[in-house]
Amino acid sequence: MTQLILQSAVSGLLVGGMYGLVALGLALAFGVLKVLNVAHGELLMLGGYASFFAFSLWGVDPFLSLPIVFVVLFLFGVLLYQVLFKYVTRFDIENRIKNSLLISFGLVLVLQALAVRFFTADERTISTSYSSEAITVGVVRIPVIRLAGFVVAVIATVALEWMLNHTRFGRAVRATAEDWTRAALTGVDVKWVYMIAFGISAGLAGIAGAMISFGYAVSPSIGLGWTLKALIVVVLAGLGSMRGILIAGMFLGLTEALAAVWVGGAYREVVALVVFLIVMSFRPQGFFGRARV
Amino acid sequence: MLAVEGLEVAYGDLQVVWGVSFQVPENSIVGILGSNGAGKTTTLMALAGLLPPLAGEITFKGESITGVPTHRLVDLGMVMIPEERATFATMSVADNLEIGAYTPRARPVKDETLDEVYSIFPRLAERRSQSAGTLSGGERQMLAIGKALMARPELLVLDEPSLGLAPIVVESTFEAIKDIRSRGVSVLMVEQHVELTLEIADHAYILEIGRIVADGTSAELASDSRVREAYLSL
Repeated sequence: MTQLILQSAVSGLLVGGMYGLVALGLALAFGVLKVLNVAHGELLMLGGYASFFAFSLWGVDPFLSLPIVFVVLFLFGVLLYQVLFKYVTRFDIENRIKNSLLISFGLVLVLQALAVRFFTADERTISTSYSSEAITVGVVRIPVIRLAGFVVAVIATVALEWMLNHTRFGRAVRATAEDWTRAALTGVDVKWVYMIAFGISAGLAGIAGAMISFGYAVSPSIGLGWTLKALIVVVLAGLGSMRGILIAGMFLGLTEALAAVWVGGAYREVVALVVFLIVMSFRPQGFFGRARV
Repeated sequence: MLAVEGLEVAYGDLQVVWGVSFQVPENSIVGILGSNGAGKTTTLMALAGLLPPLAGEITFKGESITGVPTHRLVDLGMVMIPEERATFATMSVADNLEIGAYTPRARPVKDETLDEVYSIFPRLAERRSQSAGTLSGGERQMLAIGKALMARPELLVLDEPSLGLAPIVVESTFEAIKDIRSRGVSVLMVEQHVELTLEIADHAYILEIGRIVADGTSAELASDSRVREAYLSL
């Protein structure tokens, strides 16, 4: 039993790292543009396919293609901002959320249909020569590629946090997130910040997708499930801390895994949602969010 | 320095500013006075490129700036301090000042400007690593002005600098504004606090329901019987 619990806990934490990675980009777009992009999971799905085809068509190792996937999805994000979300950011905050929900839900349908058309509905996984390798620590077996996904999540979180806190652009992003009018009055080109931040958000989704098609699986319909997890993680963490989002992701993954052991696999998401509601009733601002937002 | 000619601005469907004209000569302090709802803030929003004017012409340093985006105006040397909480509460004092020098115009001289700001407001140097949200009202006002100075303004625009501040802080803020002018920066300030503004301004305009109803040097306005009755309660 102890071995089962430990094994589940470790797997849960590793999956939770992916939840955190997916939530990172969602939180960036929401925090900065006040745009709720429910098609974030579809960007992840595209990143997964990009990585999958780079491997299956040209034999590019998923780790090598990771920066390329980031750049491709970054550019796709910039394109989406220019043709869709730019118009949403003309509204006040409340209307941005409503309108971005409508637009991005449409985007979900379009991208899913296109993926089925061009990639077929089959589930795909990248299997490299080292895909099935694992490290054994005591009684726990850790698959190497899932551990790698977790490490990528940690690196992305640290890099994003460093960028936000220590670069000129990062300060502009934080200023824009707090109040775009004041940021503009400080000399920040808010539209440019919006575009780059949305691109980074999409790029992060791409990286998450690549690691998911590697450690888990990709199909045209995986997006919404990941978006929902990411939404829970963002609310759970509260806006304001990137590290907090990774931790909240791990918390959700761990809760689900332990629920599967103690309550039963069919109830893991139910239990996780109940825990989520309990946390929200005691800390509505989230674990790491500021009390007044 | 700044000339506004026949400015008309609407807030949604409601026109708030009707044919307003005024000038800010170089190296002067100009006040726009008026009560709540007179259209003062709306005028400034149009000036800063945050609200497109319906009509009118705004020229800054001899060039038309109508339609120029807000962040470009900052780079041209027109810096506005919006009313209340003009700083970024989630950032430290140092980060607020750092981002104050965001524009290409201000960046190369950032370190010198920072020394200057710290010498004007030594308190900010003490509070350097504290988050701006935890500052007192007076300190936050110093930071708002310090942050604006970091942008190397030629024209500083202040929206109701006295709002929500204790009388003693208002006095020191107005002293700071005089000090800033003596450093060669022109100042345009919008105020409800008529008495104090007339003490430091060279020239002032009275705005009532979106129209300029009187203007003159501060001495002229202070002795004008209508102004005395309506605003100075003398």
